[in-house]
Amino acid sequence: MLFAALRDMQWRRRRLVIAIVSTGLVFAMTLVMIGLANGFRVEAERAVDSMGVDTFVIKAGAAGPLLGATPFAEAEVAQVAATPGVIAAAPLACAATTVVEGTSRRSVTAFGAPERGPGMPQVSQGRPPSTPDEVAVSSTLGRAVGDELGVGARTLRIVGIVPNSTALAKTPNIFLTTEGLQRLSYNGQPTVTSIAIKGSPQRIPAGYQLVDRTAGVNDLLRPEHVAAGAISIVAAMMSIVAVLIVGSVVYLSALERLRDFAVYKAIGVPTRSILAGLALQAVIVALLAAALGVIFSLLLGPVFPMIVVVPAIAYVALPLAAIAIGLLASLAGFRRAVAVDPALAFGGP
Amino acid sequence: MSDLSIKDLVVEYSSGGYAVRPINGLSLDVSAGSLVILLGPSGCGKTTLLSCLGGILRPKSGAVQFDGTDITKLEGGALAHYRRTKVGIVFQAFNLVPSLTALENVMVPLRAAGNSRAASRQRAEELLTRVNLADRMKHRPGDLSGGQQQRVAVARAIALDPLLILADEPTAHLDFIQVEEVLRLIRSLAQGERVVVVATHDSRMLPLADRVVELMPAVSSTNRPPETVRLKPGEMLFEQSTMGELIYLVSEGELDIVRELADGGEELVKVAKPGDYFGEIGVLFHMPRSATVRARTDATVIGYTAQAFRERLGVSGLGELIDHSSVPTTDQP
Repeated sequence: MLFAALRDMQWRRRRLVIAIVSTGLVFAMTLVMIGLANGFRVEAERAVDSMGVDTFVIKAGAAGPLLGATPFAEAEVAQVAATPGVIAAAPLACAATTVVEGTSRRSVTAFGAPERGPGMPQVSQGRPPSTPDEVAVSSTLGRAVGDELGVGARTLRIVGIVPNSTALAKTPNIFLTTEGLQRLSYNGQPTVTSIAIKGSPQRIPAGYQLVDRTAGVNDLLRPEHVAAGAISIVAAMMSIVAVLIVGSVVYLSALERLRDFAVYKAIGVPTRSILAGLALQAVIVALLAAALGVIFSLLLGPVFPMIVVVPAIAYVALPLAAIAIGLLASLAGFRRAVAVDPALAFGGP
Repeated sequence: MSDLSIKDLVVEYSSGGYAVRPINGLSLDVSAGSLVILLGPSGCGKTTLLSCLGGILRPKSGAVQFDGTDITKLEGGALAHYRRTKVGIVFQAFNLVPSLTALENVMVPLRAAGNSRAASRQRAEELLTRVNLADRMKHRPGDLSGGQQQRVAVARAIALDPLLILADEPTAHLDFIQVEEVLRLIRSLAQGERVVVVATHDSRMLPLADRVVELMPAVSSTNRPPETVRLKPGEMLFEQSTMGELIYLVSEGELDIVRELADGGEELVKVAKPGDYFGEIGVLFHMPRSATVRARTDATVIGYTAQAFRERLGVSGLGELIDHSSVPTTDQP
C-alpha cells in the first residue's frame, strides 16, 4: 500500500515541494544555529591551541588562566620553571581592550607572552613581538606589518600577522610581549594571569593549581554562555517549527484523504497500512528537507559574520532527527486516519 | 453454498440524541447466484443495509449469515479479512482514489491482500480488459467518464473474486448510455456462487433483478371510514420506527407522545389532548413513525386515512395539516 502513498505525494507535489523547501530552510537555520554555538568553542580551541601550551598554572580558586584569572606576581614563574617535568614556563597575561579603527574603537582580546613562547602563536607574516612597543595582530583586523596601531592608551607597531586569530565571537586577538601587556593593562606592574607550561610539572607551588587547555577554552567561552544558550534555544524552536510544518502538511493531506481512507478501510485495507503510508510521506518530506537543509546551511554559513562550524555529528543526526520529526509530526494525521469510519465511503460526492 | 440470510436485523443510531432505526426487524434470504435489488427512497435504509452486509456497520440486533459466517459476530482482524476477501463494494459516486491511475485503483485490494506487485498488476490488467478499459489503464479517474469510472470501480470490487458484491446507487451519476454499460456488467457478475446486492431508487434496474426488496413497503392508500380506538392508561397506540396508515385525532383523554433516546431512555415531546392530532407526517410522506404514542389516561382517538383527514380539513387542508393547525372535535364521525 506504500505505492498509494507515493502516488499521493506525486499528486500533491507542488504543496510538498513548498513544504520541503520551507522545512529545508528551517533545518538549514537549525544547522547554522548549531554551527554558531559550536563555532564559539572551535574559535576558543583554535585560539588556545595556537599558543602551544600544554597546561596553565593559575591561582587556586581562579576561574581560568585567561579572562577569568586572578592576577599574581610574575616572580612565581621562576619557581615553576625549576619544577621537574617542566620543559618551558612563561608568564602569560590576558586582557580585554580596544584598538583604534578610524574614528571609532574596536574590541580586541590582548594576550601577553614571551617572543619565543610558550603562549606566543605562529605568525604568517613578519615576526612575533620582541619589545613592549611591538604587537602581532590577527589577520581579521585587516592591518599590515609596519602599521601603527592604537591599543588602549598606547600606540604600538605591528610586526607580525597571526592568521584568523579570534575569540569571543570573532573578536580579533592581538599578541604583545608579557611586558608590553603589563604596560598596556596592569600599569606596568609585573603581574600575570597564568604561567604557560610546556611539559608536565610534577608539583606546583602552594596556593596555585594546574589546569589543562580545556580550562583555557572554557575560560574564553564563559562570556558567550548566555549567547550560546540563546542560540541553542532558537535551534530547538526551529526544530519545533520543522515539526509543525511537516505535521501540518501531513495533517492537511490526511484531512483531504479521509474519503480515500474510508474507501481503503471499506475494501479491507488494514489501518496499519494506511498509517504506514502516512508515516512514509512524513519521513520522505522530512528527509528531503534535511538534505536540502544541509545544502542551504553550506550556502548560508559563510554569509554569517561569525564563525559557523557545523559539527559532523549534526549532519549525521539531522536525518535521524528528521525521521523522528516526521513521525512525531504525523501523529495528528494518524489520529484522523484511525478515526475514519469506513461507512463514510458510502456517502455521495 | 454462499447463500445470504438476514434475520430480524435492527440497526439503530443516534440522531440529535434520538434513537433512529432505519432498519427495524428485517429478514431476508437470498440464494447464491442471485441479483437482489434493494429499492426505496432516500433515507429508507438501503445504504445502511449494504453497510451491514459489508461488515462496515454493526447492527443493534439480528444476524447476517453469509457463506457460513455470521458477520455480526466478527471482530477486528477477522472483520477486515471478511471485507477484504468476501466482499466487493461498488460505491456511489465511484469513490476511486484520485491520485491513482485506473490500474492502480484496481491494484489496491490486491496489494492489500498480500499479492506481489507483478501479480497485482497482471490481475488488474485482466480485470480492466474485461470491463473494456484496456486502453484507459494509465488514466487517472479525473480523465475518465462517469461510466468508465464506474467500470473501474466494478473491476476493483471484483479484484479478489469476492462472493458478495454490494453496489450502492451504481447508476446515480451516469447518463443513459453509461447506465446500459454498467447494468450489463453488474448483471454479469451475479453468477455461480456469487450474490450481488444493489441498492437503488432507479426503477430502470428492476428487470435485472432476480429479487426486488422494497425497504419501504407501500402502505394502503385505500380510503376507508374513520376508526375509533379506545385505550387504557399505559396502552400503546403505535411505536416509533413502525409504518402506519392512520392520522389520529384525540377525542377524549390524554396521550403521551414520546421519542426514544439513543441512551435507551425516552423524552416526552408532547401531551396530546382533545382536539390535537398526530401521526400525519409518516402517513403523508410514507415514513416510519418518529415517536411512540401511549395513553396517559383513559383515552379515545379517531384514526383517519390521509384522504379522509384532508376531506375533514377542507380545501386548504394539506397546508393546515402540515402546519399542524388544531382541529375541532365537535364534528365527530
